[in-house]
Amino acid sequence: MADEHVEADNAEAIIARIEHKSRKIESLLKQYRPVEALKTALEGSPPNTRDERCKSANWIMVHRAIMAIKDVDGMFSSLDPEYYDILMKYLYRGLSTGDRPTCDQCLRIHEKLTERAGLGCILRSLSDTVNTV
Amino acid sequence: MAAVEVHRFAQCITCHAWSPDRSMLAFCPNNNEVHIYTLMQSKWEKLHVLQKHDQIISGIDWSARSNKIVTSSHDRNSYVWNLEGSEWVPTLVILRLNRAALCVQWSPKENKFAVGSGAKTVCICYYEQENNWWVSKLIRKRHDSSVTSVAWHPNNILLATASTDGKCRIFSTYIKVVDAKESKTVSSSDAKFGELILQLDLSSSWAFGVRWSPSGNTLAYVGHNSMIYFVDEVGPSPLAQNVAFRDLPLRDVLFLSERLVVGVGFDCNPMVFAADERGIWSFIRFLGERRITSSGPKYGSQLSGAFRTLYGQPKHGLSNDTNDHSRPQGTVHENCINCIVPLGTSGSSKVMRFSTSGLDGKVVVWDLENQADLSEYF
Repeated sequence: MADEHVEADNAEAIIARIEHKSRKIESLLKQYRPVEALKTALEGSPPNTRDERCKSANWIMVHRAIMAIKDVDGMFSSLDPEYYDILMKYLYRGLSTGDRPTCDQCLRIHEKLTERAGLGCILRSLSDTVNTV
Repeated sequence: MAAVEVHRFAQCITCHAWSPDRSMLAFCPNNNEVHIYTLMQSKWEKLHVLQKHDQIISGIDWSARSNKIVTSSHDRNSYVWNLEGSEWVPTLVILRLNRAALCVQWSPKENKFAVGSGAKTVCICYYEQENNWWVSKLIRKRHDSSVTSVAWHPNNILLATASTDGKCRIFSTYIKVVDAKESKTVSSSDAKFGELILQLDLSSSWAFGVRWSPSGNTLAYVGHNSMIYFVDEVGPSPLAQNVAFRDLPLRDVLFLSERLVVGVGFDCNPMVFAADERGIWSFIRFLGERRITSSGPKYGSQLSGAFRTLYGQPKHGLSNDTNDHSRPQGTVHENCINCIVPLGTSGSSKVMRFSTSGLDGKVVVWDLENQADLSEYF
């Protein structure tokens, strides 16, 4: 029981943090800085919890940023390699939605990301069953 | 070329080992037999077939000084084979397992051997003179999944294991009747048999292939997530490094020196990792020449390479866009490499030669004598 309470409190704190980040992302998107928005969304991801609400809230935020990317090559020129593994995980979450525009965009980024990060990056995202997004 | 000898012995090889003088090669051609070959007038000839196991043989180790072969098999047993006259005579070792045995290795002093198994246990076996019998002692309830690889520390006491629960663990295998005579190893003999010395929780996916450096100061193991892990100062405060690489995952690993490691696996091409002066490990290059990591985007060829690897088709004829006509793709192996064995001269802590075998049925001998860029790491 005690553990569940801790988990619930923790989830509330994480949701609050995601909401704060979400406002920051909206303002970055308004300034036409989608790559900055994506970096902000990916930072601290995935949320360190098993709570599905947190994961969904974080995904909605990352999804907003991914869909705002127009120039994929341009994005990679300013996205550091440290973001590659976590971005790959979110691309697979995007592909699993089955939503046409989301899948189109995720596949477009997936191709370029695989060129840069290799098959190892795909393996790392698929084999990690603990830190899921 | 770093590959000096290539020979295809079978459809598929699960594991191989060399005789102490390197004149004979033992391997399992993906069935319940061990075939022993020797080189006669520049032709490999089959000398012996060891038949006793009922199922696929998962591990072979040939002891350097006592000239004994130990095998482990999915039939849950091990045999120790001793050459008497011109016959290899097997002695059954009852491991007391209820799942397959997956790997086996002689201890450095060759008075014990360790078997990893699918029963979440490790067996430490030793010979009891009075009963003329190999005894198996189990390390139970320490692993949450199959033990895929075992590695002996040079001190003959510590054993590292890799498991599909993602963890690498180090145990004491101190057995009084065997190790009491060797009481020089004071510090580690305090630990009782089966005591967990260290648990490394670095990977969340399956761990394979674990090895110690020649001095026993560094440990390396590989994960199924395209990562390799290096652990220095194994003890109360270990220093761990993760190296992620851009290609398919590794299956096995070998230290060539304190600062040089070769990993083999699903990419069909051995990868070299090295530590710089500060002890920072990084990927250096592939041993098979043609594929260098920094040569820019090669998405098409890499992905088709992956599909070929995944579906186990030979690489011949599928890519005509290479310059190396003798070996398409520039890889000597055409399928996953799952075994790497040192061919060092005994007494030296450097390994300049080693051999690899894999699912393509080839055994390849590699020599790094002429690899100038790697010489600084020896």
